[in-house]
Amino acid sequence: MMMDKLNRILPLVQKPARYTGGELNSIMKDKNKIEVRFAFCFPDLYEVGMSHLGMKILYSLLNEKENVWCERVFAPGADMEAQMRQNNIPLYGLESFDPLSEFDFIGFTLQYELCYTTVLNMLDLAGLPVRSKDREELTPLVVAGGPCTCNPEPIADFIDLFMLGEGEEQLPALVELYRKAKAEGRSKKAFLMQAAKEIPGIYVPMFYDVAYRSDGAIDSVKPNEDVPFPITKAIVKNLDQVYYPDQFVVPFIETVHDRAMVEVLRGCIRGCRFCQAGFIYRPFREKNFETLNKNGRNLCDSTGYEEISLSSLSTSDYSQLEPLLDKMLTWTDESKVNLSLPSLRIDNFSEELLDKIKKVRKSGLTFAPEAGTQRMRDVINKNISEEEVLNTCKTAFEGGYTSVKLYFMMGLPTETDDDIRGIIYLAQKIVDLFYSLPTKPKGKGVNVTVSVAGFVPKPHTPFEFEPQDTMDELKRKQAILLDTVRSRKISVKYHASDVTVLEGVLARGDRKLCDVLETAWKKGCKLDSWDEFFSLERWNEAYAECGIDPAFYSNRLRSYDEILPWDHLDYGVTKAFLIRENKKAHESNTTAHCRAICSGCGANCLLGGNCFDAR
Amino acid sequence: MTPVRIFFHKTGRAKYISHLDIYRCMQRAVKRSGLPVWYTEGFNPHMYLTFALPISLGYESICESMDFKLTEPVEFDQIVKRLNNCLPPDLQAYSAAEPVMKTEKIFWADYQIRLESENCLPEELAKSLEASCETSPLMVMKKTKKGEKEIDISPLFSCSKIQTESDGVTFRLRTRAGNEVNLNPSLVIQELEKQAKQKIFAAVTRIAILTEECKNFC
Repeated sequence: MMMDKLNRILPLVQKPARYTGGELNSIMKDKNKIEVRFAFCFPDLYEVGMSHLGMKILYSLLNEKENVWCERVFAPGADMEAQMRQNNIPLYGLESFDPLSEFDFIGFTLQYELCYTTVLNMLDLAGLPVRSKDREELTPLVVAGGPCTCNPEPIADFIDLFMLGEGEEQLPALVELYRKAKAEGRSKKAFLMQAAKEIPGIYVPMFYDVAYRSDGAIDSVKPNEDVPFPITKAIVKNLDQVYYPDQFVVPFIETVHDRAMVEVLRGCIRGCRFCQAGFIYRPFREKNFETLNKNGRNLCDSTGYEEISLSSLSTSDYSQLEPLLDKMLTWTDESKVNLSLPSLRIDNFSEELLDKIKKVRKSGLTFAPEAGTQRMRDVINKNISEEEVLNTCKTAFEGGYTSVKLYFMMGLPTETDDDIRGIIYLAQKIVDLFYSLPTKPKGKGVNVTVSVAGFVPKPHTPFEFEPQDTMDELKRKQAILLDTVRSRKISVKYHASDVTVLEGVLARGDRKLCDVLETAWKKGCKLDSWDEFFSLERWNEAYAECGIDPAFYSNRLRSYDEILPWDHLDYGVTKAFLIRENKKAHESNTTAHCRAICSGCGANCLLGGNCFDAR
Repeated sequence: MTPVRIFFHKTGRAKYISHLDIYRCMQRAVKRSGLPVWYTEGFNPHMYLTFALPISLGYESICESMDFKLTEPVEFDQIVKRLNNCLPPDLQAYSAAEPVMKTEKIFWADYQIRLESENCLPEELAKSLEASCETSPLMVMKKTKKGEKEIDISPLFSCSKIQTESDGVTFRLRTRAGNEVNLNPSLVIQELEKQAKQKIFAAVTRIAILTEECKNFC
């Protein structure tokens, strides 16, 4: 029936294979034997969502259970959405083609703030009321997880339940609790209450009241029922024994990351002060290299992928990297699989490592010094020196590389115009270095790409208190950046600042933004991370109509004792630690990484011991 | 080295996969199957797959072919079996053999087509279909790489087994096919739409690829 309807519209849309499922390793089940149906929704296009490792893990994990069927759902492109709305086709699961309203769970993964309007749009396309309070029945239950749940307040009115932290243990527990609740005919509220009490990391916004001061900041957050306070995120204590899929759905169309992946480690020892991932995924845990080798081999065998990436926040911090590479190279070479290491640090990038990667394929090298001057790098605790940057580039150039890409940020706390110019000076030094090398690759020029993103202060980081640069300020700094370039060997790329500011507002927003979000969505905002969809105008109208000043969220300095919208969500890292780190940042003092000395962030409490001694 | 030609169907959900994507999907399937496939020996070794007459996006086919080479012989029914284990259900091989004909031998393709139109009675559709078959010359606009061109398609196709049903028309369409002259069924359907002044929905399945003597391409 649905296929019949789809056959009418699919010939009219771009990339129809986004909407038809049926890929290798996608999981089909007999729905009559299923007790719980889970729609795993990624609020972005198929190509983006299908690249996401978390979805692959949880999809396989849920489908391991005989009585559960997890399907995938992505946001349709504009052409497909128009056809769906015109022909009354509701949003459907890619496996069964059944409408979302027939599912038990509608679960969103919130990977970035700019997806929030798409979440509302997908609920609407499913024919559901967008607000949690207007969905009175237990089914379908709208839940959400992912990094943005570390401050889900701007989207709190729309989601029934948030899952804080890691899902491998928490999600199956939630699904099982739901199965019982459904069988017993319990109410939505009764189920939510039980989930909040019994399952770690479950945050049900309606059980917490937020009161505001006259200046707009939060006066108090209090539970209105007998539920945990604060809510502590769930973690998997033993990462080496955690579930990992031996199959990935292999898309037909090209996706952003179309490759096998293994997750080398979780968390990060570095403590770069701008980096949210570096704090919210703590404590640091590694997998054994034998496990990873097995994971990787299984995946390549079952998918036929010609590339496998070793994923983590900082793969060169993996303590068993060399044995892992040695082990993997024994089979990747002969089966013509490329090994890719996306997240390498400059300070521990050795010649041997370079040799090992080079064996497979020579692509460009990408590093992230993040800031142009030593002072600035000390402020953000990016513990690398200019010498290290230059040495790494030297190693790379001598190894035959001629193109280097460098990531930077602008708008960092305490930043001056000299710090901005410093970005280009550093790039210039790399260009000069190349030409000074007698061993440089012959007959080739060098290319240094400088990619600069606007800094967005994020919750649960030492910079959560800091004001974000205004749009005008970011534009002024972009001009300085371009003005400083003196060489054609340097190309500068930067992100649009309008989107950066919206990201900043949503990242540190409170529940007052729920109205803005709904208004903006009603005005047509969706897929805000795509240039062709983003409209600053519509957002500004929405702020004005709701009486909200976005500068209150983005450009305001918070005092250390202000109650922040996410203070009742415990990610292990304590606020006292964040304040300590913030003070050190303003003194340009650095903090050593976790292996050198424990700086007492608090995340080890989640493990019930020390991060490193325990093993 | 053993050259192999497999035939497979591309139906159901798989009809929305473009040729480029089929190519990648087949590469991965062959790789997963562990068949001793021959790789090119250049700077960037890759397996070499050739498709005789890839079907257009949105059409089904039960007669797609793909050629590749093996470095050592494998029994043909084993090849089919091993590939099918590695292919999604809507893309399944049904035969493997050594190629007999060159692709230049391809001359005709047969399609089974079902037409529906919201505002047009099946009888009317059938009538204008019959009329189109008898019109000569039948000039239609064809988009080429160099722009639009008007061509006479009347010698390039014929219809048979036209049957009127309660809500549509089914028929068999034979068109010229191959590298030299190729008529996509969409041009015939487009012409019908022009005559009926209605949007027509067509479900198209290619059922055979034939030589000039109307023998099955093999």
